[in-house]
Amino acid sequence: MAVQELRIGDRWERLAHSQVFLAYLFLLPTLVVLAGVVVYPFFSAIWISLQDKVAGLPGKWIWTANYAELLRSETFPLVFYNTLFYTVFAVLIKFTVGLTAAVVLNQERPLNGLYRTILFLPWAIPTVLASLNWLWVYDEFNGMLNVVLMRLGLLSQPVAWLAEPHVAMWAVIAVVVWNGTPFYTMHFLAGLQAIPQELYDAAEVDGASTLEQFLYITIPSMRNVFTITVMLSSVFTSTSVVAVHILTNGAPAFRTDIVPNFAFNLALVSHRLGIGSAANILFFPMLVALIVFLSRQLLRQKSEV
Amino acid sequence: MIGTQSGIRRVNRIAGSVVLLTLVVWTLAPLYWMVSTSFKQNNEIYGAGLSLWPRQPTLENYATLFARTPYLIYFRNSMLVSLVTTLLSVLFASLGAYAITRLRFPGRAFLARGLVYTYLMPQSMLFIPLLSILIFLHLENTRQGLVLAYLGFTVPFCTWLLMGYFMSIPTELDEAGMVDGCSRLGVLFRIILPVTVPAIATVAFFSFTLSWNEFLYASVFLSSVGVKTIPTGIPSFIVEDVFFWGPMMASTFLSALPPLLVYFLFQRFLIKGLTTGAVKA
Repeated sequence: MAVQELRIGDRWERLAHSQVFLAYLFLLPTLVVLAGVVVYPFFSAIWISLQDKVAGLPGKWIWTANYAELLRSETFPLVFYNTLFYTVFAVLIKFTVGLTAAVVLNQERPLNGLYRTILFLPWAIPTVLASLNWLWVYDEFNGMLNVVLMRLGLLSQPVAWLAEPHVAMWAVIAVVVWNGTPFYTMHFLAGLQAIPQELYDAAEVDGASTLEQFLYITIPSMRNVFTITVMLSSVFTSTSVVAVHILTNGAPAFRTDIVPNFAFNLALVSHRLGIGSAANILFFPMLVALIVFLSRQLLRQKSEV
Repeated sequence: MIGTQSGIRRVNRIAGSVVLLTLVVWTLAPLYWMVSTSFKQNNEIYGAGLSLWPRQPTLENYATLFARTPYLIYFRNSMLVSLVTTLLSVLFASLGAYAITRLRFPGRAFLARGLVYTYLMPQSMLFIPLLSILIFLHLENTRQGLVLAYLGFTVPFCTWLLMGYFMSIPTELDEAGMVDGCSRLGVLFRIILPVTVPAIATVAFFSFTLSWNEFLYASVFLSSVGVKTIPTGIPSFIVEDVFFWGPMMASTFLSALPPLLVYFLFQRFLIKGLTTGAVKA
């Protein structure tokens, strides 16, 4: 009896000291969570997209009928195009404004800490709140934008910013830019501060102008920061539902709708989970290249640490 | 020569200040509109008496918010969900990051890669099957189900960030601890975690704000007033037409305070955290 106990104790002891056992024990909660709420749902999304399915009930297998319906419809191609348009311009503007802000904040100036805190503020504001805030700013008759522009004499008629077909998408993009620029500013500012001052001093001695210094020192040194920031932001901008959902929910006539919001409405308003999933999966190839490239970059960055 | 150089520099600085001023106005204008509206009376919010600032400041909108809407319930739910998610994320991520950075086991590189992929997997791809899974587990329309779903993006992100910090701690420290008779867990909790307090703070900040801000999952999984969080609760104020912009802006302002508060508290750590690992936009 005593011998056996000793042996069990021994084995337990050895197991507890085995790195492999410990590693998997420590990783168990993470593995369970990730398998359950990320990996399995991802494959399940593909599965569901091949079914005619209502939440909570078993689906009916219909193969590619959902995909065919989407591709034949008039709305889905429009929504797909909108998503690309929205992402490209939102990212482009965030990049430009963020870089400008970072360069300006990097200049020496009294109270710079205060300015930095102010310009970073929107980053700490949840997008849902920023969107409600802007919905009120854009209000046709009582919103700040129209009231101020009309009092300054810049507008004679109030503009329905979120209902005019040619304006609405830009109005949505403006909100996303307001909310998302600080993310760029932070990354770019950190990138700028990491460039050794000696490079600029040497260029100064050689007589390089400010513009030349920016083009030949700043931009090349920031290439990595640029790539990672833009790609991360593209993934999260193109897949974030909230701004569109709150501001327009796709109106007028799907002109501002983007794929994730379109899928959301199909799945939750029309209760068609299958076709909602299919819409997301049709957009997924756009993300795959970004995700694969980004994870390579991030892993390389980490192995350098 | 020297004259023109400093001349150029002055022009640069003036141009910079103009740009900076524009950016500050652009950033603050909507926030000003939110805060000022929340303190205005209805006749200053709408129509002919519309004023750009509160002439007769009032707390009426806040009173309406507390008395006539379930705002406080939403606030409590958001707080609960965010705190529990944060606690679990920090715990799981510390254990996981320790295993990946300190222990040798087959599948380590694969796991590190898997973490990045799961972190980059957009929620919009997952919400439809997740709804089915939560229904299957009888966790739909519960806060526990929401926490479970949130761990799917907080855990990989936090583990990833912590890995970076843990790698910067010399392994000699662990070895010294083990010689002194610490177990692996002891090393993690008594040696590594205490010296990575800033990292833990950063990770906690991100889990908290990510959960506090999350809209999509909350809107999909929660339907009853008793369990809804702020992001899914307050937009429904518009649809229900209970009341209008005064209380709405009051609720927006109040809901922005917790993330702003932690942002101010953690500002110093955050910038460092940002440059160490990639951060969700």
